[in-house]
Amino acid sequence: MALDERRFDELTVESQDLQSEAMSTAREVVPDMRDLANDRRHDGVDPDQQAQFGLGRRRLLRNFGLAGLTAGVFGPLISSIVAGPAAAQAGGSIDVQILQTASSLERLAVNTYGVALALPFIKSGNQVIVKFAQTTMMQHDQHRQAFQAQTTALGGKVQDTPNAKNSQVVAQALPTLKAPADVVKLAMTLEQVARDTYLSDMSMFTDKKSRTLMATVMGVETQHLATLRAVAALLAGNGAALIAIPVDPAKLPAAAGSAGFPEAIPTPSKASPPAEGAVQ
Amino acid sequence: MSTEPLDRASLSRRRFMAGGATAALAVGVAACSSSKKSSSSAGGAVSTDTTAPSTTAAANGDAKIAMTAASLEVLAVGTYKSALDAATAGKLGTVPPAVATFVQTAMTQHQKALDQWNSVLTSAGGEAVTQPPPSLKATVDQQFAQVTDATGAAKLALTLERIAADTYLLVGPSITDKKAITLAGALQCVDQEHAAILNFVLGMYPVPDVFQNTDQAFKG
Repeated sequence: MALDERRFDELTVESQDLQSEAMSTAREVVPDMRDLANDRRHDGVDPDQQAQFGLGRRRLLRNFGLAGLTAGVFGPLISSIVAGPAAAQAGGSIDVQILQTASSLERLAVNTYGVALALPFIKSGNQVIVKFAQTTMMQHDQHRQAFQAQTTALGGKVQDTPNAKNSQVVAQALPTLKAPADVVKLAMTLEQVARDTYLSDMSMFTDKKSRTLMATVMGVETQHLATLRAVAALLAGNGAALIAIPVDPAKLPAAAGSAGFPEAIPTPSKASPPAEGAVQ
Repeated sequence: MSTEPLDRASLSRRRFMAGGATAALAVGVAACSSSKKSSSSAGGAVSTDTTAPSTTAAANGDAKIAMTAASLEVLAVGTYKSALDAATAGKLGTVPPAVATFVQTAMTQHQKALDQWNSVLTSAGGEAVTQPPPSLKATVDQQFAQVTDATGAAKLALTLERIAADTYLLVGPSITDKKAITLAGALQCVDQEHAAILNFVLGMYPVPDVFQNTDQAFKG
């Protein structure tokens, strides 16, 4: 492990300053959106979209036989991710549904990074990975707050329940997490789902300001994904010692220069549909 | 504006090229044809007005954005090519393998992005963009002349990637064609990915912003 703690902390502070500015910008957007709320809140959605989302916590636990694990090691972890019944609210505009699904993905990401940080081999492992997980969790939480604020501004009900479908993915993966590479792989999955969902959503928004906000978040999730891909490549190539900030670029393997961006033009293959995380 | 859900299976590159993007841009390309010679420097005169534009105006806007995007991709491809040539000629000293791979891969990906935009433009009856924005190219050329090593090349590459990613973020809300929106978003993503890896290689935190901003967007 190698970490320039002082430089890393400086970078984190810079990032947080930028986050404050960005949140300020996001807050400026919200009042304008309230003007749109009355026009948009009664817009209907495709019934097929509504039907796509139906998995609740109980079904999740039942399907994967996880109900009996509550006394085990992963019981509390799983509960922390999938806890809470879905709120009940029917309908909502496509914009609200998109924002609610995005909120559900961000909530799941925050919870999952929190769980990962508690795993012994992460906590006592490479401190750059720990810092990355901490910072990324914070960034996802800011994204969650921004999406929730916009949901409210559009007259929708805030979604704060983890995305049910992808909670299944996490719940399935948790018992298999034995090493940092396993956690990185799971995080890559969540980041790609978020990135792909937002990319797919771009053309579905009816409100430009909502689209802009989501694009600012998408640009960050895709950087999380690229970083995790590079880290995964280093771990796979016995290059854990190179996961350092600052890194000596001369020591990086050639693959590290391209592992982060395998697609010239990413396609949203893992996107969640707008209604998947909508408040029912 | 339509709220019909996008068919996710239709987002492949091939279907994008054959799909509605070209048709939707056709009117705009035709309208812009009188200024084709200077299209590459048309810049990103992008309105952020939320008022729905007329069909023709919207197509004009999309066509201008496509041309601006293509011109930025021309600049990226050309600059990476210059970096490769300089490295091959030994003008950048020892180039770390990861940096060499990065430059080669990023150049290839920017070429694919350029091909994509030009395919949209030519399919809609316009001409392919082959020139970078002149003002921006002049600035980049100035900076490239001062590059003496791989680190300097990586820093310049980071600047270019940020300009591209921030520009896609800036113009995104002004695009009206759905498939063009997705293409711009996809390229915003890949340029942000390039930037993240360059940040890491240059010793910086790879994801410095909580929200991407448009600070370095090209505005023509």
